Amino acid sequence: MSAATTPAPPGVTTLGKIVLALLAVVVAGALAFLLLWVTGIGDALVAFAIDTGTANVEILRFVAAATGVLLFTVPAAFVIIYMELKIIAQMNLRVGPDRTGPWGALASLMAGLKVLSKEDYTPRGVDVPVFTLAPAVTFLASVMTLLVVPFAPGMAGYYMDLGLIYFFAASGLGVVGLMMAGWSSFNKYSLLGGIRAAAAVISYELPLILATFGVVLLAGTLNLGQIVEDQAGWAWNWYGFQQPLALIIFFIAATAEAGRTPFDYTEADSELVAGFATEYSGMRFGFFFFAEYVNVFILSALTVTLFLGGYHSGIDIDPILGFLGVNTPVEMGNIDLGSLGPWLLGLPLLVPPVLTLVLAAFLWAIKSSWGALKSIVVGFVLANLLLGAAITIWAFFSFEALLGIAVFFGKSFALVALFVLMRATYPRVRIDQMMNFAWKWLMPAALLNIFITAAAILFVREYLS
Amino acid sequence: MTTDREQVRSLDDPEIMVQTPGTIFDAIPPLTPRTEREAEFYDLSEGQMFVNLGPQHPSTHGVLRVVLKIDGEKIVDLDPVMGYLHRGVEKICENGDWHHAISNTDPLEYVASMFSEALPVLSAERLLELQVPRRAEYIRVLAWELNRVASHALFIGWLALDLGGITPILYGFAERDEIVEMLASLTGQRLLFNYLRIGGVNGDVSHDFLSRLGDWMSRAGVRVNDQAALMNENEIFVNRTKGLGVLDRETALHYGMSGPPLRATGVPYDVRRAHPYSVYPELEFDIPVRTDGDSYARYLLHIEEIKQSLRIIDQVLHQMPDGPVMAKLPRLLRVPPGRAFAALESPRGQYAAYAVSDGSDQPFRFRIHDPSFFNLQAVRSLTRGHLLADIMAIMASLDPVMGGIDK
Repeated sequence: MSAATTPAPPGVTTLGKIVLALLAVVVAGALAFLLLWVTGIGDALVAFAIDTGTANVEILRFVAAATGVLLFTVPAAFVIIYMELKIIAQMNLRVGPDRTGPWGALASLMAGLKVLSKEDYTPRGVDVPVFTLAPAVTFLASVMTLLVVPFAPGMAGYYMDLGLIYFFAASGLGVVGLMMAGWSSFNKYSLLGGIRAAAAVISYELPLILATFGVVLLAGTLNLGQIVEDQAGWAWNWYGFQQPLALIIFFIAATAEAGRTPFDYTEADSELVAGFATEYSGMRFGFFFFAEYVNVFILSALTVTLFLGGYHSGIDIDPILGFLGVNTPVEMGNIDLGSLGPWLLGLPLLVPPVLTLVLAAFLWAIKSSWGALKSIVVGFVLANLLLGAAITIWAFFSFEALLGIAVFFGKSFALVALFVLMRATYPRVRIDQMMNFAWKWLMPAALLNIFITAAAILFVREYLS
Repeated sequence: MTTDREQVRSLDDPEIMVQTPGTIFDAIPPLTPRTEREAEFYDLSEGQMFVNLGPQHPSTHGVLRVVLKIDGEKIVDLDPVMGYLHRGVEKICENGDWHHAISNTDPLEYVASMFSEALPVLSAERLLELQVPRRAEYIRVLAWELNRVASHALFIGWLALDLGGITPILYGFAERDEIVEMLASLTGQRLLFNYLRIGGVNGDVSHDFLSRLGDWMSRAGVRVNDQAALMNENEIFVNRTKGLGVLDRETALHYGMSGPPLRATGVPYDVRRAHPYSVYPELEFDIPVRTDGDSYARYLLHIEEIKQSLRIIDQVLHQMPDGPVMAKLPRLLRVPPGRAFAALESPRGQYAAYAVSDGSDQPFRFRIHDPSFFNLQAVRSLTRGHLLADIMAIMASLDPVMGGIDK
């Protein structure tokens, strides 16, 4: 205690300064805690916090979920940007990022830091409040849609009975941000970009929503969690197989909604310079940039949720386990080890070495300069990290949550990769062709799909059951 | 004539931005109109606005500025403004001697400068009535055709990039980079070669160049085929270029256009066949012609021309004779007095020069005919009434190079 209070002697090292400062903070904290405990104020504060929390648990849960979703989008966007850099580089005969981190994996993080550290410039003549708010509106609108998407059994931000409606309502707000940016920027290219966004997003929102009606009719609910649960079991239970037309319409409309190639009309770089984002710089531009990638992920996630089985792997595990002699349902928490049999019991033991070897073989194959030993060491570290993450999720949630997250993200990022491949392949559709396509093809097809689905459901109800 | 426009102050006035930012929306140009056409153009109707496309716009292929008068997305009228790259090349050429003109005309056609640097060479040789060694002629044809492939590969990528496709441009650059590296091994430069000389070429082909060329010829055009596979039957690409910017034969001839835009309208005019020069009469190749006259036809024509160029390169490699690559000339070259017209077929059309010599070692007058300038004239009549996005597809398919236009 005396060491902390005495002034630092001259000649103390940098490390010493840090340690002394930390020590002072710890001592002060301990004193404050003692004081609170002795006087009884601390207990009262804790009791008050618990009371308030239990009384408003729904609000707390909502805030926690919103924060979690907000924090989650950042790494998701980084992964998508990295995927885009790498995949398009492969298609363009380039190497792509390979300097920062292994295989350039930190390139998108560095790009984020760069954007963060750049000057945030407000040009003269702009409508300052609108100009400042626009990126926030766009970003929050796309992030908040993620609140209702179920990642795994029991893992959704918020199970809402009107989940689908909430999703479209929130994602429709994004275009308001784009229009605000286009209008307030005091730039004709921005204005054109904003007007294009308004015209086209409104056109494509209709087929996007109409395409989901078939699924809603089949599921009988708007709750996304319930819709996913209806697709449990084998892969042919997925609504994508019962509603193939709706899946195609939805995916095309989602591409337009996210403003991705071939529908990247809003920021068409060869026509409108950068569209609505022309006048933005620094992190405000970064928010638009982020919102685009978050949108890509969210629309992929919604496609997976509605049409591709959500977090269900498409393999019905019960008959297989029954064939192996395990009684279902399996409670992974308090499993009866005796019922597993020696072979099934030995299976988990095989996971770490097999995973290590698989990762090592993969690394050894793609890194020509790496020897076998280095590959195995890195593979071992990677396998440990993966298993650690998996066991953490297993411990805090459940085995189903672990499996669901893996399946859900696998499917979602596969769809994201499809978006990226489309970007590298297609030129841009002209705005009038795009509108024609939306109103003359997608809309009638979506209406036809609703009609056929409804008629089929009526027919089945009337005559077959 | 508009009188209220005179009250708008110049945009160069620093106060105008501070005090009345709103005026920026209707203040092009700030000055009183000089001609009737200008007065008509700069008079806005209800709901119209001006957009300055360029000179720093990503897809105007250099520093062309196009003032667009648009109604929503529809182009009502447009006014190309040139001269941002003007150097006065013709006058520079007249101030130096004939040899200097080669390096001075080099940057005119900076995408395929082997063609523009041939202008003083060919015109001086006509005036001198010089017999160029046959090996030198073959090397010239080789360099020209290689450069044509490089330029056309880039054209295809540019067209795709202006339509929003990001991959073909990199395929085009991959193809072009290999060719340019070859030409660098031949000439020492990647972009502005300065290789042709009056009376021959600067140095014979090297072993390195020939081995690179042989290697490249075995897989030539792979990247171009990749581009074609991405674009030829791509529904979006075809929809955006087919029937767009349709030129008819009479209009094209009326504008004095040449090269692929003219041949896409059905006129089989190619200087290599119409007014043969060098050793082209001895080589077998076709002049691809299309009759649609739209952007898509122009695009397909470029791909066919690449194939013909590869045919020519193949023949040149088989027929190239031995011998010197430079004619014997005095060091101080005094060109006899007279007038000469020399033309050659560049990737963009007929590149021509009209040279007048007064008997000194400098050209008295050196007039350059640049095909990009004549092809670009059609932009206004082709884009009126189309959408904003179409001007990119039309301008990219006309393939202007601003170095030659601004001279």
